[in-house]
Amino acid sequence: MDSNKKYWKGLEELNNEPEFVEKNKNEFPEPIPIEDVLTGGGLEGKTPRRDFLKALGFGVGAVTLAACERVPVHKSIPYLIKPEEVTPGVPNYYVSTYDGHAILVKTREGRPIKVEGNPNDVLSKGGLSAQAQASVLDLYDYNRLNNPSLDTQDASWSAIDTFVKSELGAIKAGGKKVRIVSSSINSPSTLAVIADFVAAVPNSKHVTYDAVSYTGIIQANQNSFGKAVLPHYRFDKADVIVSFGADFLGTWISPSEFMAQWVTNRNGKSLKGKKMSRHIQFEAGMSNTGSNADTRILTKPSEEGPALVNLYNEIAGTTLPGSKSTGNSSIDKAVKIVAAELKAAKGKALVVCGSNDVAKQVLVNAINSLLGSYGTTIDLDNYSNQYKGNDAEFVDFVGEMNRGEVDAVFFLNSNPVYDYHNGEAVKAALKQVRLRVSFADRNDETSAHCNVVAPGHYYLESWGDGNAIEGYYTVVQPVINPVYDTRQAEQSLLMWSDAPVKDYYTYVRNNWDKNLLAKGGLSGQKGWETLLQTGFIKVADKTPGTYTFSKDLNGVAQTILNQSGKLAASAGSMEVQLYQTVAMRDGKRANNPWLQEMPDPVSKVTWDNFAAMSPNDMKNLGVVQGDTISIEANGHSIELPILVQPGQTQGTISIALGYGRTVAGPVGLNVGKNAFPFLNFVNGTFQTAAVAKITKTGGNYIFAQTQTHHSIEGRNTIVRETTFKEYVKDPSSNSGGSLKHKPYESLWDEYQRPVYDWVMAIDLNACTGCGACVVACSAENNIPVVGRDEVRRRREMHWIRIDRYYSFKDGDKSVTEEHELSTMKDLDNVEVVYQPMLCQHCDHAPCETVCPVLATVHSNEGINMMAYNRCVGTRYCANNCPYKVRRFNWFNYWNDARFDNYLINEHTHLVLNPDVVTRFRGVMEKCSMCIQRIQAGKLKAKMEKRPLKDGDVKMACQQTCPTNAIIFGNRNDPNSEVSKMLKSERTFYVLEELGVEPGIGYQVKVRNTNTEIA
Amino acid sequence: MRNISLTLKQFIKPALLALGLVILGFSTYAQGDLAKGKAIFQGKCTACHAVDKQVVGPALGPQLDQEPDEKWLIKWVQNNQALIAAKDPKAVAIYNKFNQSNMTLFADLSDADVSNILAYVRDEWKKDQQPPVTPAGAAVAEKGPSNIMILGLIGVIVVAFIIILVLNKVIKTLEKLILNKPDLLLPEPVEPVVPVDRYATVKKLIKNKKFVFFVLLCVSIAGGGWTWMTMWNTNIHQGYQPVQPIKFPHDLHAGAMQIKCQYCHSGAYKSKNATIPSLNICMNCHKTISARMGAKTPSTEIAKIYDALGYDPQTQKYDSTKAHPIQWIRIHNLPDLVYFNHSQHAKVAGLKCQTCHGPVETMKEVYQYSPLTMKWCIQCHKRTGINYKDNGYYEKMEAIHDRIKRGDKITEAEMGGIECAKCHY
Repeated sequence: MDSNKKYWKGLEELNNEPEFVEKNKNEFPEPIPIEDVLTGGGLEGKTPRRDFLKALGFGVGAVTLAACERVPVHKSIPYLIKPEEVTPGVPNYYVSTYDGHAILVKTREGRPIKVEGNPNDVLSKGGLSAQAQASVLDLYDYNRLNNPSLDTQDASWSAIDTFVKSELGAIKAGGKKVRIVSSSINSPSTLAVIADFVAAVPNSKHVTYDAVSYTGIIQANQNSFGKAVLPHYRFDKADVIVSFGADFLGTWISPSEFMAQWVTNRNGKSLKGKKMSRHIQFEAGMSNTGSNADTRILTKPSEEGPALVNLYNEIAGTTLPGSKSTGNSSIDKAVKIVAAELKAAKGKALVVCGSNDVAKQVLVNAINSLLGSYGTTIDLDNYSNQYKGNDAEFVDFVGEMNRGEVDAVFFLNSNPVYDYHNGEAVKAALKQVRLRVSFADRNDETSAHCNVVAPGHYYLESWGDGNAIEGYYTVVQPVINPVYDTRQAEQSLLMWSDAPVKDYYTYVRNNWDKNLLAKGGLSGQKGWETLLQTGFIKVADKTPGTYTFSKDLNGVAQTILNQSGKLAASAGSMEVQLYQTVAMRDGKRANNPWLQEMPDPVSKVTWDNFAAMSPNDMKNLGVVQGDTISIEANGHSIELPILVQPGQTQGTISIALGYGRTVAGPVGLNVGKNAFPFLNFVNGTFQTAAVAKITKTGGNYIFAQTQTHHSIEGRNTIVRETTFKEYVKDPSSNSGGSLKHKPYESLWDEYQRPVYDWVMAIDLNACTGCGACVVACSAENNIPVVGRDEVRRRREMHWIRIDRYYSFKDGDKSVTEEHELSTMKDLDNVEVVYQPMLCQHCDHAPCETVCPVLATVHSNEGINMMAYNRCVGTRYCANNCPYKVRRFNWFNYWNDARFDNYLINEHTHLVLNPDVVTRFRGVMEKCSMCIQRIQAGKLKAKMEKRPLKDGDVKMACQQTCPTNAIIFGNRNDPNSEVSKMLKSERTFYVLEELGVEPGIGYQVKVRNTNTEIA
Repeated sequence: MRNISLTLKQFIKPALLALGLVILGFSTYAQGDLAKGKAIFQGKCTACHAVDKQVVGPALGPQLDQEPDEKWLIKWVQNNQALIAAKDPKAVAIYNKFNQSNMTLFADLSDADVSNILAYVRDEWKKDQQPPVTPAGAAVAEKGPSNIMILGLIGVIVVAFIIILVLNKVIKTLEKLILNKPDLLLPEPVEPVVPVDRYATVKKLIKNKKFVFFVLLCVSIAGGGWTWMTMWNTNIHQGYQPVQPIKFPHDLHAGAMQIKCQYCHSGAYKSKNATIPSLNICMNCHKTISARMGAKTPSTEIAKIYDALGYDPQTQKYDSTKAHPIQWIRIHNLPDLVYFNHSQHAKVAGLKCQTCHGPVETMKEVYQYSPLTMKWCIQCHKRTGINYKDNGYYEKMEAIHDRIKRGDKITEAEMGGIECAKCHY
């Protein structure tokens, strides 16, 4: 069965907008003045003899002078005394912790160059998010603070200590309050240090404040079950997942863990067993999770509450007072069907809600309790410590400051001046505080208003620990000496409170010796050393208890419905929904160029945030993509360009948080606009929906959007998908089996691949498009960051991109022809397919035949090799590549001052992988199939005198993928994982009809759709 | 009488033999004492001791001067810790004086052995102490030749000068004679001056077009060839031998001393980098060896190691504040675009270091032996067979299984070793 769908990458392509057609028609994105030269004045122009001689003379002279440069003398500086464990040229791996995940840090000659997942990590089983991958770059950020400062003057640590201690002494005498404000901390040792500090300093308190808060869930659990914790969700145990605006695959609580869980019921193995979970998403804007859902119901923030109430009614079979229709027939219909599905999957169902509203979360608890989720898909006993923020406490704290009751405040990994909804108020209130200490390791909006800046170590320079999930204890160990004159915040707190143990390492050791090592059956020095090699200890899970909801829901329902009513926008205004992007999250890593340049999974926009609107709303408002609008809510207004977002709920606008930093390094400074002021403090929690007035401002802005770059000309067999029903009937459904062309007579000689045939399998059903592979590839292969302007010119350098395709459903029918599109009411019902696209290492590679200098040739291991030093930059290969995966170096990105913000300074150079060369201007580059890893793997096997095993070599993209969507291996080995995967009935090769024999096989995406729901 | 002489002879022979033997025996005994002592000393003691200066342990010459008690010394050498444990005052004093570091126990040395060592050390020390008195005759004999030479030379010059004077006198006399008798001189016949063109042949040749063409051809061929070679070899630095901060003699270490390459360049078998040894490797030996064999003064080059480490050979302490790295000048420079791995070649292929680095063991200072061009790499990959013996990695490779079984040569190139991406990535 052939694909009956029409896929398109952007509305420009769909509507065949003139600009798109024009751009696509051309061989190069920019015009080349060949015509001008060949016609008109080009050939007739005369060069006077004298000019010619001048140019000739200058040319010869310049070339001679340039050639006279002496060969540089290279110095080799060995260690004075070599550390025993370091062999120059051989990487060392150290265990550590990122965000509660056990990780491995790869170091070369004592400098960390890459972060990799610890394959034994309990949470994500070795997968890592894009943020974690990018975190290594922040270590070398030359905008980090070099030393402590006192009243903006550089100071020594002893001066800081004297000052803070004397101030604390005076404050003690005055009897006013002392506050430590931090984001959620799950490190047992840090929490112990803070507890000690609070005990030692009178009138002090620890306030936990998260920019993006989960207080609603914590409070709801307190109200419902008396447990003020964030539960540990188990998506792997759920057969039916219903999410109300929770972007759990992208940004919600612990996305890379949830991805690993979610995919276990949807991956190839699960499909083989004819089992696939069902995932229904109710949401306003198109989130990463929503784009991966089987069914996506467009729901305005104001409709979310009534929909939840109705869902409860359907499941419980009762009617809560005040219940009414959402006013949207498709939601009402969907809720009924979803309720039935949930009930059918009792004990294997999970409902999650992204709202921070306590009432909504209580209702969700009630629903989950009815569905028997507690003890199965929700674990309240092995709870999560990832978020602990208490919104009301922070609001109280701002009040206390305003009233002049606070004399000292310590900001630990917290930046409220930027990310509190009323940052100005915090700024003003801080003026009343006598001692303001920031532990930020780089300048931020809050540290700018602190009189003491005591920069802490970066996590790669620190000792510490983590406890993301109850019973899972991880260790943080330094992998490099502090780059700057910084001191760990915990150490500072120990010093200032005159604690008996002033060295934080000793403190951590003591804490583990006393409290934690024993839990893993370890003890003493030996136990500690074991820990430093395994990275964590895991206590056996407690049996999760079943909790039954037995509270009154009438009041709750009333609150929800009232609140939803307030959100319903009147004419002339729209509902604003605030979300986090996968790359930027809450904006703390805004100065990371890898993250800024990573295309957003859904919008494919880099280096900006925007107002996402549905095409219909835009038509009504009379705007086109890029037009700027002013959005006014909560007495605050910002101006943002509009992005057309198919699948955006009509009447809503989605805006990403985490942008618009005003005090940051040059990379993150003033990128996008700050949307945090649109957060509302309602019923004790911060909420992410608001009603906003929209006005056109008349400007137009061009996004650096990679969406339609590298177009593949509407060929329809590029992505393939099927439904679960079809799949069960015929596993090869829509994998192109019947369509397969007769093999062409080959123009090329067949090459032998005697030993290895390296190939890849990518499961479209597992890929969520999260982009971790893009950043991992950048880190592994020294891929330069080009910046917003160059991305606008379609010059991004990523070797792997994730193509996002939209397709439509019109009722039950899929839209097959373009002309049918015009008959459709709206463009809401889009479906999304993600497809990682990288060099396919074709056996009959079209790029190889056109290279005039044989810079790109085939290896006898099936790899399409690229010899940079041979390339002369004709770009013929890029033109001839049907997959558009070749990238041209327009500049020397590594030492061109025009790319000042990015990677040209000598500190950031330290992050380069020394086994991979940086490419020069004028050469082509592309995915090398991490050839350095293949070679290293083979060498390791040779040295150990054993055959290379399947799994010895892992690609950087494969290694970081939280859903294991990418499998790499040797096709010659019939038992290798990749061979097995490629034998799957779902396998198809992109554009195989061209006869290029690609080396990457994709597996058809399967949707577990329910035809009853629109 | 004859009988008597016979008898005497009979007696004398054995007597002389006996006497000779006795004398021989005495002399060998006297030498054996010192020789044995020297052998043991050099075998067991020099790691920590020298006669005249402090190494790890004290200088033995002066130390023995202070301690005449032979028996005590024997006990000390054999088991100093027992003495210290027994709180022997002298032993404790020495123990404390030298930072309470234990001397190795030598229970395997007999009393006689220790006496021999002591005798040898005392003897050496005595020799050291004596002012370098050289026999007078020898001194003259030594200085003689040079004086004679100088005097002789002066004599020769004087004689020559006199001869010149005399000859001048004779010439002048002869001239006078001629002037007085002008007939003695015959007028030279005047020949007509024919202008001789010395460049005639050259001019003739210049007019010879064939010759000109031939010369021009030769010149242009030679010039072109030279230009071609120069340009072809641009950035090839074969023979590059920069002046290093320390004149490290590989010929001494790797040649004369036969130290294995990987003792210092330990990375060559584990890593892509062969690694220049860190200074702690140097100090493994140079803590005790501070000069060339036999030299009395410490070597300036070894002193540079001490200097770089902030090490004081007198106190044997390291001062890390004075430490600074040694900036060697890299000789073998591969461009960034090439990936080269030493362990692949040294460990897996089992190549000798000399294959690429040349006879390092004979190099006073190292220079670049091989051209390090891609052509050079490729040629070797085409010619050299892979080292598949006893390597499980190759055993299961079906493609080459049969050939390996037969023991055929399989070159690196056949395994894909000349493909671009094997080195360029």
